[in-house]
Amino acid sequence: MRKKYGPLYVTPLTVWLAAFFVIPISIIVYYSFLTKRPATGGVIHQFSLEAYTALINPLIFRIALNTFWVACVSTVIMIALAIPTAYYMARSKYKNFFLLLVIIPFLTNFLIRIYAWMAILGNNGILNNALASIGLIDSHIQFLYNVNAVILLTVYTYLPFAILPLYSTIEKFDFSLLEAARDLGATKLTAMLRILFPNIRAGITTAVLFTFIPAFGNYAIPQIIGDAGSYMLGNVIARELTVTRNWPLASSLSVVLTTLTTLGVLLFMRFNRSATEGAAAMAAAAKRRQGMRAAI
Amino acid sequence: MKGSLVTIKNVEKSFGGFRALKGVSLEIKKGEFYSLLGPSGCGKTTLLRIIAGFEEPSAGAVLLDGRDMVPIPANRRPVNTIFQTYALFPHLTVFENVAFPLRLKKLPNATVKDKVQQFLELVKLPNEGKKLPAQLSGGQKQRVAIARALINEPSVLLLDEPLSALDAKLRQHMLIELDTIHDKIGITFIYVTHDQQEALSVSDRVAVMNEGEIVQIGTPFEIYESPTSPFVAHFIGETNYIIGAVTRLIDEVRVEIEFPEIGAVVAYRDKPLSVGDSVKMTIRPEKIRISTELPEGLSEKFNVLSGNVDEVIYSGFQSKFFVRMGERTMFRVFKQHVRYFMDEKAINWKDQVYIWWHYNDSFIVEVGET
Ligand SMILES: Nc1ncnc2c1ncn2[C@@H]1O[C@H](COP(=O)(O)OP(=O)(O)OP(=O)(O)O)[C@@H](O)[C@H]1O
Ligand SMILES: [Mg+2]
Repeated sequence: MRKKYGPLYVTPLTVWLAAFFVIPISIIVYYSFLTKRPATGGVIHQFSLEAYTALINPLIFRIALNTFWVACVSTVIMIALAIPTAYYMARSKYKNFFLLLVIIPFLTNFLIRIYAWMAILGNNGILNNALASIGLIDSHIQFLYNVNAVILLTVYTYLPFAILPLYSTIEKFDFSLLEAARDLGATKLTAMLRILFPNIRAGITTAVLFTFIPAFGNYAIPQIIGDAGSYMLGNVIARELTVTRNWPLASSLSVVLTTLTTLGVLLFMRFNRSATEGAAAMAAAAKRRQGMRAAI
Repeated sequence: MKGSLVTIKNVEKSFGGFRALKGVSLEIKKGEFYSLLGPSGCGKTTLLRIIAGFEEPSAGAVLLDGRDMVPIPANRRPVNTIFQTYALFPHLTVFENVAFPLRLKKLPNATVKDKVQQFLELVKLPNEGKKLPAQLSGGQKQRVAIARALINEPSVLLLDEPLSALDAKLRQHMLIELDTIHDKIGITFIYVTHDQQEALSVSDRVAVMNEGEIVQIGTPFEIYESPTSPFVAHFIGETNYIIGAVTRLIDEVRVEIEFPEIGAVVAYRDKPLSVGDSVKMTIRPEKIRISTELPEGLSEKFNVLSGNVDEVIYSGFQSKFFVRMGERTMFRVFKQHVRYFMDEKAINWKDQVYIWWHYNDSFIVEVGET
């Protein structure tokens, strides 16, 4: 039965992948090897490697480093906030209520939420006014239009993507293991580090991927509330596409970015798997050896 | 009290408005195998968790070797626990599970290795160190949990229904093994169970609990042979109850009680009674003998009754008889399959039988008002 209908089940997925993944990526790859039309921008359908050689440029390199740095800092902050949050959610009696709270921001448009933050953090915003009214500051603090604002809003935007996978792994964790560790002499902190963390690695890995990738490809947040110092690769692509209209360059940068991210993800997952599955593999090997001995 | 290692004094524990422990006091001696026995929900785990330090008592004191334990956190109490579900660390090998307490103390590798091996041998798992917990059988997991809990050489080992996840045969086996380990290392065991057979067969002393209170403390023999309340008599083993009225105080140790549908019976007298008291008498089914013929020359110390066999349950090593004495009175009688007399006949359903027991075996568990 299953064999007979197998291809039918697969078809929608294939169509979906082709329409939304393979075809767009192919177009981008194709464009990256074309020649830029001078003056007006766009492309001439003629093979060229110019778009790739143009990437070897100290400015782009600096922006890439900056992007990587901002994404790393944001991810570290998100994971550091998400682990305790997910832990308390998972241990709480009001799990579903907290889950709802985490999901609620998704009900509002992302841009509207950013503008809401601008209303809070602006020079004439709620926070500055509040600080001034209690006499803590004389003029105003410049919260917006710098790299810190970009990090803050990146953390705000993608934090749920860290909390949710962590919550779902921690929820399955057997908390009596922490008591056992305490019983055997571990402090609360040691019990967390040695027992909780190794057992929720899968959740941490997922949370890192789910937050690092969008943070790395960030473009709207630095565009709206960043400055020259927080310019990211996403902004370069957007500018090359819409302002400068150097489509091959925008494409080549996208291709390189996608390739690097994919490689990074694969490496990260590989590294993580070998760490968690190492012990299991060792034990399995030991068991096989034993079995062989028994057979002899 | 002198000589006791663990002292529990008037410990109370409330969860919200619910009183899980209502003033529990215990004295546990050094090296004792001490059982907490009681029905589900009576507060055994709660008491154990208070001793371990996972729960704070609402009132009362927990002393270990005279030292107040309440302010001391769980990780610094010289007490280790074997959890009902073992709580082995799934990401660590058997070896590292057992080594965990030693690693926390940052002992040198060679010491850890020797000591872990020594304890794995104690629990008869010398070759399983490299396995992960998921690759072990239930009994093996149990052994790892024992080794891990003992390696710190605690002065008290707490066991919370450690055998309940095992099948009947293995449970018997592990129980004997636990007893052997206890004899070998000589530390104090506090063993929680709701299985009376388990508690009776290995404990030095048993505390029977009910609804957050200790109802009786004694050796297994005392608990079984002289229950001080109907609850204990009923909870530990099977028993017959029968309610009657005191008609005569025969002497210091004997009392005559009149029962409806049966008549007068002599029972052991171990508490102050007066004529006319309404009493609840108990007699264990295995203390009663049964036959279709009345044996000759029976001493007057025996109570003899006659009735009809209502039901026979054959269970291998013994048979259980339900003997009806009247509308509302029935006796359960257990008979081992040995012959008292060479010419004894088999007892069948509906037979008219005699039952008799020594007055000493029937005693009063409750005195009510008349
Ligand atoms: N954290 C808690 N919050 C509220 N009530 C609790 C809590 N822990 C235990 N109780 C209640 O206290 C009572 C005693 O529980 P406890 O676990 O000590 O019973 P137990 O004797 O170990 O039973 P069992 O044989 O089923 O394990 C139960 O009625 C239980 O519902
Ligand atoms: Mg319990």
